[in-house]
Amino acid sequence: MKRGEVTIHIGGVYASERPTIIKTLLGSCVAVCLHDPERAVGGMNHFMLPRGDGDGDDAEAGRFGVHAMDLLIGAIMKAGGDRRRLVAKVFGGANVLDLSGSVVDVPRRNIDFAKTFLEEEGIPVLSAAVGGRYPRHVHFHTDSGRAFVKHVRRVRPHALAEARARAAPPIGYGSITLFD
Amino acid sequence: MPATILIVEDSKLVRAMVRAALQADDHRVMEAPGGREALATLDDTPVDLVITDVNMPDMDGLTLVRALRARPRERSTPILVLTTEDGEAMKQRGREAGATGWLVKPFHPDQLRHTVRHVLGIPA
Repeated sequence: MKRGEVTIHIGGVYASERPTIIKTLLGSCVAVCLHDPERAVGGMNHFMLPRGDGDGDDAEAGRFGVHAMDLLIGAIMKAGGDRRRLVAKVFGGANVLDLSGSVVDVPRRNIDFAKTFLEEEGIPVLSAAVGGRYPRHVHFHTDSGRAFVKHVRRVRPHALAEARARAAPPIGYGSITLFD
Repeated sequence: MPATILIVEDSKLVRAMVRAALQADDHRVMEAPGGREALATLDDTPVDLVITDVNMPDMDGLTLVRALRARPRERSTPILVLTTEDGEAMKQRGREAGATGWLVKPFHPDQLRHTVRHVLGIPA
């Protein structure tokens, strides 16, 4: 069967029970790919924790990171996957702007968050390609769970900026509805 | 006035965030990772409020809400649904199942505490 193709950007989440190639371009952001091998359901998110400098901001960053993962797991379960069978692959977190050594190491925080989350939730990480200096193109096949990663040595000057511009708006807090 | 609250949520980290938010108001918090575990917990312990996710393995949140509404003890216990589902059709299903309210994630701890106080009738 021919696979469909979907591209996601920062803040994006996609999962499907139909064979799909999910594509994304990662700089310092992280993408987590989750796969339920038994149901051949897979999905990917692409997130960047909000930058925090104080304790309160760290808590806020954690909440948004957990939410990015929660959205992905929810999308996979809606597509027929079971969270108890999920396995993960983690990509991204490159020091594209060579920010290491700055007060807050943004790529490292994104990588550490993803790994800690998966460990806490008991989701095994099958492979990870993280860190380094170069952005990555990632293609994830939702049915087989295979991922294809290519370093981008020569980034078009504005490719990452373009991807960022197409990003979903920052996540706001959700609505509250009380029924009569 | 602290209350006893059951959180039903399959994500351990989301449960921890909800627990932290509620404990700041001194509520007694219990946790269940799914609908079946929630029913077993409620067999033993009555609660003042249930907060449940929707998409969970084994028994989803709306099935849990319907099951609770069929039980004499939880027939009128407030039940808040806390979920990433933000569609109107799903909200309507929640209302029909008997939920008291529908909170879309991500939640702000202050808003969650405020909503909990409101449905429990605790003065702000």
